[in-house]
Amino acid sequence: MKVITAYCNLRAGECLVNGEVVARRDTGSEDSWFKQIYKQHELAYPKFYKMDVLSQAGYLASELIKRANPGISEVYADDEIALVFANASSSAETDRRFIQSYQGGGSPSPSLFVYTLPNIVLGEIAILNKWYGENMFAVLPKFVPGFYLDYSRILLASGSRALLCGWLEVTAGSTDVFLFMVEEKEKGTEFNEENLLHLSQTGAVAAY
Amino acid sequence: MIYIGAEVIVSPLGDTAEANWEALSVNRTGIALTPAVGFNKEDIHLSRIVGLGGPLRFQQLVIKALAGLKNRIDASILTSDRTMVLISSTKGALDDNLHDQFGETCSAVMQQFNLAHLPIVISNACISGVLALNVAGNMVGAGQYEHVIVIGCDVASDFVLYGFQSLFAVSDKACAPFDAARNGITLGEGCAAALVSGAKSVFKNTPLQLLSGTSANDANHISGPSRTGEGLVRSVSRTMQKHGIGAEEIDFICAHGTGTVFNDEMEAIAFDRLSLSEKPLNSLKGYFGHTLGAAGVIETAVCMQMMRNGMLIKSLGYRDAGTSQPLNIILENEPKKLRTILKTASGFGGGNASLMIRDL
Repeated sequence: MKVITAYCNLRAGECLVNGEVVARRDTGSEDSWFKQIYKQHELAYPKFYKMDVLSQAGYLASELIKRANPGISEVYADDEIALVFANASSSAETDRRFIQSYQGGGSPSPSLFVYTLPNIVLGEIAILNKWYGENMFAVLPKFVPGFYLDYSRILLASGSRALLCGWLEVTAGSTDVFLFMVEEKEKGTEFNEENLLHLSQTGAVAAY
Repeated sequence: MIYIGAEVIVSPLGDTAEANWEALSVNRTGIALTPAVGFNKEDIHLSRIVGLGGPLRFQQLVIKALAGLKNRIDASILTSDRTMVLISSTKGALDDNLHDQFGETCSAVMQQFNLAHLPIVISNACISGVLALNVAGNMVGAGQYEHVIVIGCDVASDFVLYGFQSLFAVSDKACAPFDAARNGITLGEGCAAALVSGAKSVFKNTPLQLLSGTSANDANHISGPSRTGEGLVRSVSRTMQKHGIGAEEIDFICAHGTGTVFNDEMEAIAFDRLSLSEKPLNSLKGYFGHTLGAAGVIETAVCMQMMRNGMLIKSLGYRDAGTSQPLNIILENEPKKLRTILKTASGFGGGNASLMIRDL
């Protein structure tokens, strides 16, 4: 049976792993919300500071999932974990910042430009973990469980043994991040439409 | 069997696959020196479609390509619940709506062609097109849809040009993939479409066979190619294994060949590791420029034309060997029966993807 073995919801004011709050935003802090999580969880990956918000979100959520589900890198070969991510607004937030870098007198910023593609976050996660598996980034109007369910069937039938999936919507006005790990297990939270919809909403109310 | 056919190419070289083929068969390029378009008003080589202007350029191209494809298939499948449309693109309609680069186009296409489903956008940098064709093949193979239409499209923009200029990655001449004097990419715009289906009868002209492939990340760098070609090696070897095809069966490789020093070197290393160095190989970037999310679909459609016309097309811009591992770059057009071809792509984010097409 395909099971959701760990998940992380990252929202405007809270970060939850498997439904438990693991970080709360300190609105008085000078640090960005993502930096607060990075520090609170004593993560050590200086490249984090170079990343755009999409990659930071994907990095944080994937690291927290790995902590909740240790050993996944050992259980699977380096090309058996596929990454399937999606969002609605592509890399719009970084695109906007890149445009700002060259409009109004400045020069186009190469360090922003390299993040103006939504799939860069997949590259960051692959680099960090040395994962050589399948990658896909789709742009969809909203989170649809069917997209992940359909594509996971294809991947799991063609060499991938586990999936790290994600919905990563980070814009100036909203943070809606949901990452989840799908593996083959005897029991657990079944990877189906109902459970995905339910888990994707974790913490949604508390944030408002 | 999974079929691919009804290919359409809309580029500076023409609005149909046949018109593009005519231009390619006489080695005509779409690249031209374009005055004062650079960030510092430099003249830049670009492959731009004459007459494509104003708002909604992305949408115009996607609709044009799909309308062209519609004439080449049993049009009734367009509205079927068993048909999906995939759009591969990097920046979509960025110039029209920064915050929603694909939504309006997807809705417009759905409405205009009466599609049953909203198209899905696949955005994986420069491998988007090959990846989308693979997803299409896999969707049909798994029975999720009977027919999947893939449309690859990207339009020229200041945004992308300035970005590549900031990386010092834009060639000061028309790009010269694999050549010793290559020094960067030439950007292009264009759109291509093809139908992937399990039903041969829906194609008006005989289709080819799609041997859908795999993708693999380099796990190396977000904007620099791997020094070892590891991701490309893994993608190609898995694609060949998946179909039980050995190196001896590959007749031609349509490489990614962007014309940057490091990308082309990475590919040469990968093809050497794969024992594919002696296969006739080209890059089509010298004709179309780098069309980013459209490239994989445009170039696969050209491969299909090469197979249909039994002709290898020379790798435009190449003169002298310029990679540490030798490659068999096609120097002149040459008639040749092509049974099985390999198409590869590599891109930002460390992505690598490959697929094969086979003659029926």
